[in-house]
Amino acid sequence: MKKAYARDFSELDAIVADTAAFFATHAIDPNLRPKVDLANEELFVNLVTYNTEARGPVTIELCAAGRGIEVTLTDRDVDRFDPTRAGDVDVESLLAERAPGGLGLYLVSKMVDTIHHEYRDRTSKITFTNRSASSEEG
Amino acid sequence: MFEIGFNQDGDVVLTGRLDAAQAPAAQAFLDGVERGCVVDMAALEYISSAGLGVLLRTHKRLSGTGGGLELHNVNGHIGDIFSYSGFDRLFVIRSR
Repeated sequence: MKKAYARDFSELDAIVADTAAFFATHAIDPNLRPKVDLANEELFVNLVTYNTEARGPVTIELCAAGRGIEVTLTDRDVDRFDPTRAGDVDVESLLAERAPGGLGLYLVSKMVDTIHHEYRDRTSKITFTNRSASSEEG
Repeated sequence: MFEIGFNQDGDVVLTGRLDAAQAPAAQAFLDGVERGCVVDMAALEYISSAGLGVLLRTHKRLSGTGGGLELHNVNGHIGDIFSYSGFDRLFVIRSR
């Protein structure tokens, strides 16, 4: 399934609904849904928030991989930024030292099994996978 | 779908999905809370970093007045998010 979403947080509901439908149609392990939803949201929000000069939609493609899933987010006419190399977050700091923000891409790294970024011709493509612990995929 | 309100015990109740689209509404509500309180998450299905930011901002403000937020009835997945984020060191958290 491949679909384009406008650069607006209000599209998150549609992304979640489309992902749920894809999981049901392709018998993807439902235990992966929270992780995929979180990674999708954090990456989509990052693209929309920081690629401010882009005007076109963000494309999200879902592919079944056994009972797991491969997700690719594509954003065109953007500057280079590799979300897989975002800085670490000090999650052990005290309350007084913690500031809201910066957790999104860190959480993505915790949610996915693999993540890959490709940048070519001003197009940014992020692909992540989540494997099912119960699948027998190779 | 996301809802936020008070129950009859004065606890804040979160229902549904607290994502980046809903975080401003949640922040606006919690900005009106004036003292430490319990946040009942029994019906909260999902939270992203935007929602974590709302909780952290509110917790810091209320902790400055001697209060803070206690997060109750946290489900397994959201508990994992709190753990990865280090929130389990910052908040009193009670799982379901």
